[in-house]
Amino acid sequence: MKTRKLLALDPGKCTNCRICELACSFYHYKSFNPRRSRISVLRNDEKCVSIPTVCHHCDRPLCQEACAVEAIYRDEATGAMVIDYDKCMGCNLCFTACPFGGISIDPLSMMVVKCDLCDGDPWCAKYCVRKAVEYVRADKAGIQRKRAGFEKISKLMPLIMKE
Amino acid sequence: MTFDYKGYAGQYLRVDLTKGEMKKEPLPSWMAKHYIGGTGFAARVLWDELKPQTNPLSPENSLVMAVGPATGALSPSSGRFMMASKSPLTGIWGESHCGGHFGPELKYAGYDMIIFHGRSEKPVYLYVDDDWVEFKDASHLWGKDTKETTGQVREEVGDETVKVSCIGLAGENLVKYAAVMTDFYRAAGRTGMGAVMGSKNLKAVAVRGTKGVEVADPERYMEVMDEVLYQNTEGPWAEPAQSSLGTYGTPNLVAVINAIGRLPTKNHWTGYYEDAEKISGAVIRSKHRVARDSCFSCMIQCKYVSTVDSGLYAGTFSGGPEYESVFALGSNCLVNDIEAILHANMLCNLYGIDTISAGKCISFAMECYEHGILSEKEADGLDLRWGNGEALTALIHKIAHREGLGDLLAEGVRGASQRMGKGSEEFAMHIKGLEISGQDCRAHKSVGCTHATSVRGADHLRSLSCIDEQGFYEAAAERFGVDKAEEICNLLSEKYKGYIVKDQEDLYAVVDSVLMCKYGTMWPPMYYLDFIAKLLPPLTGMEEYGSVKEVRLAAERICNLRRCFNVREGITRKDEDLPPRFKEEPMPNGRAKGEVCNLQPMLDEYYEARGWDEATALPFRDTLERVGLKEVADQLELTGKVLKRIVGK
Repeated sequence: MKTRKLLALDPGKCTNCRICELACSFYHYKSFNPRRSRISVLRNDEKCVSIPTVCHHCDRPLCQEACAVEAIYRDEATGAMVIDYDKCMGCNLCFTACPFGGISIDPLSMMVVKCDLCDGDPWCAKYCVRKAVEYVRADKAGIQRKRAGFEKISKLMPLIMKE
Repeated sequence: MTFDYKGYAGQYLRVDLTKGEMKKEPLPSWMAKHYIGGTGFAARVLWDELKPQTNPLSPENSLVMAVGPATGALSPSSGRFMMASKSPLTGIWGESHCGGHFGPELKYAGYDMIIFHGRSEKPVYLYVDDDWVEFKDASHLWGKDTKETTGQVREEVGDETVKVSCIGLAGENLVKYAAVMTDFYRAAGRTGMGAVMGSKNLKAVAVRGTKGVEVADPERYMEVMDEVLYQNTEGPWAEPAQSSLGTYGTPNLVAVINAIGRLPTKNHWTGYYEDAEKISGAVIRSKHRVARDSCFSCMIQCKYVSTVDSGLYAGTFSGGPEYESVFALGSNCLVNDIEAILHANMLCNLYGIDTISAGKCISFAMECYEHGILSEKEADGLDLRWGNGEALTALIHKIAHREGLGDLLAEGVRGASQRMGKGSEEFAMHIKGLEISGQDCRAHKSVGCTHATSVRGADHLRSLSCIDEQGFYEAAAERFGVDKAEEICNLLSEKYKGYIVKDQEDLYAVVDSVLMCKYGTMWPPMYYLDFIAKLLPPLTGMEEYGSVKEVRLAAERICNLRRCFNVREGITRKDEDLPPRFKEEPMPNGRAKGEVCNLQPMLDEYYEARGWDEATALPFRDTLERVGLKEVADQLELTGKVLKRIVGK
């Protein structure tokens, strides 16, 4: 069976250091420029909440469905949804279609851009010291989430046991 | 536009607030080569552009905002910027650094520095969007706190990701130690940069940048970054850093420092606080912290947000508090109510006030009150007995509004004691006008030399040494020789401490120019001059900085120039002294019980190591020439403030 890897995002761990944005922009442009990064930390300063957002490389990608010229396709080697700029006509419909903000407009080229998983070794995950962004096997990510939930519950166990 | 070196925007902005003009100027490449960035740039600019004896709150004073080559380029803990000006609090070199996200944004907008001159007729703020720079009216923001101001500026420019540095009421009212607040909770706190902004009618600076930073040798640079990543995840300091700073933030130090008897308590009466546990990092973490936060591009991430949910201070919500705020507003005033401290910290953030100076001004008032120098009437009816948390928060409101006693305390302890007289000078804990930061030199002797010689007054961030504090024998042996290491690691010995202070001052000068945080350099000691030598060449392309000797030379150039700024303002050896309390009153309790600080031998060592005259604390011409400051020596010679070394001495 083919295993799929995904970028597992955990807002609970994200501290808004934005090293993922630096790493992403440098991988793609050899320039440290968060505004060109394909991963972005959305920040609510008032509530001190930081949420990393990036393309989920969906199984049924709305961006792909929205594209009239079939410029978005899945890279078989990495599983990433990528853009063929020879075909892209710049209509931005993929940008509109994605409900997660997984596609952004590059402020320099003004073209749509998206995560390409750095050819299989995503730098955002590599440099995230808090592990708020991890590149893991999809099934493992699921187990990790369950375990995190379990650990929260297990902290309450002594209380439950007492009764 | 191309600049000779990478890591720089290659351009700076000159803003004349009087004329309402701004000009983009190319950054001279010699500035980068000789002064690196940050504090180095500021030193050169203020030396060249300020006339001696300029009134700090006059339009003639200049205000510098600068970043360094590392800013915004993934370097460790490099999301910073610095501000410098002649300080209204001290009348000498003023400088303050700040984390958050503003610094990198300034670089991305295409500027290594902004220099403000003059004074605007009406309140304005500066909006920088890449090449687009404009003044915007700030009349409607005048009087607003830093949180409201930040939010409103973002709304007005229509981008919530715009980074804002602004002043609150304290800066507007020219409180001498007003801070500049960035991203709500990060402060350029010390030496009153907020008052300088206020005096210029400059409410805020908002920036947005899309330009990015390139490096000279991407592959080699990323190798260094991979090493940094290793150090912060698997290296020997990764776990210690995360289990202390990462877990508790800087308030972790409350317990650590109390244990060595160095926690300033009761206006420096002692260094041991019996209620330290009540205001410790552990208490804040377990009862008040709601979120972890980080400055831009940091792997240590010591920032937190804390709240108070119930009681007298319910509704308190702010970033921090940092160790320095907890000690200044807590143990220093004998306030053991952590909720009062959290509330006071929030007020300081909203008004834009330096928590250290504020705490020290309040403890000064409390000690004057105890000794009957300050009556209840003079205290506006407040009960200023030690430990009164309500009086603490009430005084912060008064200071920001310059109301009653607050107007006096807004002058700083030196100014307030001069106005008050009656022997209150004895309780004014400052050096060169700056209130003393959270250390006590009776328990950690090198701190005496650090505080006395620090270029901005009694402060730890220019040269505090952790080598002796933590007993890093290997680092001591490596840097100063095996023969000296044991003595250096003795916290209570003055011997060789002048040398380590000079060494730390060099390190921090270059760190403050490359622009990284003290965390990672001061503690944990991951990055020393050799790291800078590894970082700068692939970052900037200045290969000469691959040599530690060259890095040291640049550091000495910057240190000397900043000190020369103070010499030009009239500072001599008699100003580089400690308040009598540290020299004459033995530590009453704690681990350093019975100790006093013997400053003179450390000062002698320091000046000797700096190549300055031990008797007068004036520079020798040959020292200035060696570090490339001949023209500075020539200028000082006009007033007889540079000396010729007597051969053989």
